[in-house]
Amino acid sequence: MATSEDNEMYSKQWEGCMRIAVQTAQKAGEVIRDAFKHEKEVSTKSSPVDLVTETDRLVEDLIISSLREKYPSHRFIGEESSAAGEKCLLTDSPTWIIDPIDGTCNFVHSFPMVAVSIGFAVNKELEFGVIYHCLEENLYTARKGHGAFCNGTQLQVSKETDMSKALILTEIGAKRDPNTLKIFAGNMERLLKAQVHGIRVIGSATLALCQVASGAADAYYQFGLHCWDIAAAAVIIREAGGNVIDTSGGPLDLMSRRIVAAGTVEMAHYIAQEIQTITYERDDQNAN
Amino acid sequence: MADPWQDCMEIGISVARQAGEVILEALKNQISVMSKSSPVDLVTETDQKVESMIISSIREKFPTHSFIGEESVAAGAASILTDNPTWIIDPIDGTTNFVHRFPFVAVSIGFAVNKQIEFGIIYSCVEDKMYTGKKGKGAFCNGEQLKVSGQEDITKSLILTEVGYKKNPDIAKTMFSNMERLVCIPVHGLSGPDTIVGTAAVNMCLVATGGADAYYHIGIHCWDMAAGAVIVAEAGGVVMDTNGGPFDLMSRRLITASSKAVGERIAKEIQAFPCGRDDGKD
Repeated sequence: MATSEDNEMYSKQWEGCMRIAVQTAQKAGEVIRDAFKHEKEVSTKSSPVDLVTETDRLVEDLIISSLREKYPSHRFIGEESSAAGEKCLLTDSPTWIIDPIDGTCNFVHSFPMVAVSIGFAVNKELEFGVIYHCLEENLYTARKGHGAFCNGTQLQVSKETDMSKALILTEIGAKRDPNTLKIFAGNMERLLKAQVHGIRVIGSATLALCQVASGAADAYYQFGLHCWDIAAAAVIIREAGGNVIDTSGGPLDLMSRRIVAAGTVEMAHYIAQEIQTITYERDDQNAN
Repeated sequence: MADPWQDCMEIGISVARQAGEVILEALKNQISVMSKSSPVDLVTETDQKVESMIISSIREKFPTHSFIGEESVAAGAASILTDNPTWIIDPIDGTTNFVHRFPFVAVSIGFAVNKQIEFGIIYSCVEDKMYTGKKGKGAFCNGEQLKVSGQEDITKSLILTEVGYKKNPDIAKTMFSNMERLVCIPVHGLSGPDTIVGTAAVNMCLVATGGADAYYHIGIHCWDMAAGAVIVAEAGGVVMDTNGGPFDLMSRRLITASSKAVGERIAKEIQAFPCGRDDGKD
């Protein structure tokens, strides 16, 4: 049975890792800020609107090589490595789960909502998360059991349980076929009919999830996001007192490509009930 | 010859900044009183307070000028634009955001003479970004000159809009089918603060900076459009009616875009619905 001393040692191990994660995220943010004002070379991935740039790849390489140097035995799941063919397999090993630029479409347009997201899991449990809003230089961090913070100020989710007072965020996802759009619009319509205060789309899942953690938004839902968008934010929201669940109402599944997050469990379940599913292939589909 | 409206604009900027301070103060206090009374009441109080402050400060300096303000109109004043120098004011654009402390809230002040918009001021107070545009003199944000993206290809565009549910299912249907039609082109993205009340001012500033390629809205008011329209135009963008024709300040609708090509394509795709003109000339 683990003693409190053991727990303390275990916990301290990850504190060191988190410090390195913060430094790395800030360095990455600098690279992104520099590239922001310049012309970007854009290519596409799974669809004409699934964008990627040289900077995405450069930043991911930078992050992984910095971390690997310090932690050669750790494993990595990164958006661009994945796109290059690496499998999204989460094992018990300490694993870094990285989105080098969350909000690539925004980055391409110089629309100022762009973040670096670094999550960390051990024994398949999310231990800490770092999300760095590169342009506003807002650093969101949380370590399991130690609260969530933005630039040193503690974060607290909203306690709203009433849908008719809710501000909800979401994202469109990469699929653009007519059936997907119909379901997407239908979900928004259903929520608006329930008289929610408003629905926002800001173009960055991780930053939207941080708005839930800070209490500025009451909930977030999406189909089509990836494990590297969820990993850090899930810890930040939980540590701010909030809930993250699957869109079916069950427990969060990191590889499922979907999420509902809210300040209160009531709000999370109301939304899960209202929304219809848009299916995306799991992140770990080809991992076995 | 001295620029006749430069003085007015300088007063406008200083008043916008003061208004921003009042809003930021209210944002702080609201955190502690939220549980006492309905958030909507609180907000309305701040809207009215800020609008009175803006109008009285300006009236003191320019006693013969006219005013069209959101809260005055709500209280029964007419929103008729005459040739007289007229200040067109939204004291808090982004009311819903304000209630939630979602960080996009702006003061919007437009100024028209002979029914032409001469300058616009939009102060996004949480971000401390002062956007200005003066006819023939360019558009700026915190002193930095603004230029639209110039994007002409709709399939590479990031488009902002508002989807408010006005309790009319037919209107909701039209709004959503407009969105769907654009997303299907496909455009790069359809994003934006999206609310029943409107964060139009900030959206238009994002087009002016080049961060977005277009913003369209049906159902907006003249006090939301006046400042933003001149800022986008002075940043090199286009402002037009949703039917592709010339912009009409009282029409309750507009498209602002990085180029004529993008603007016209959007006009082609979207359907308007009747809103009731601000000047009642339906």
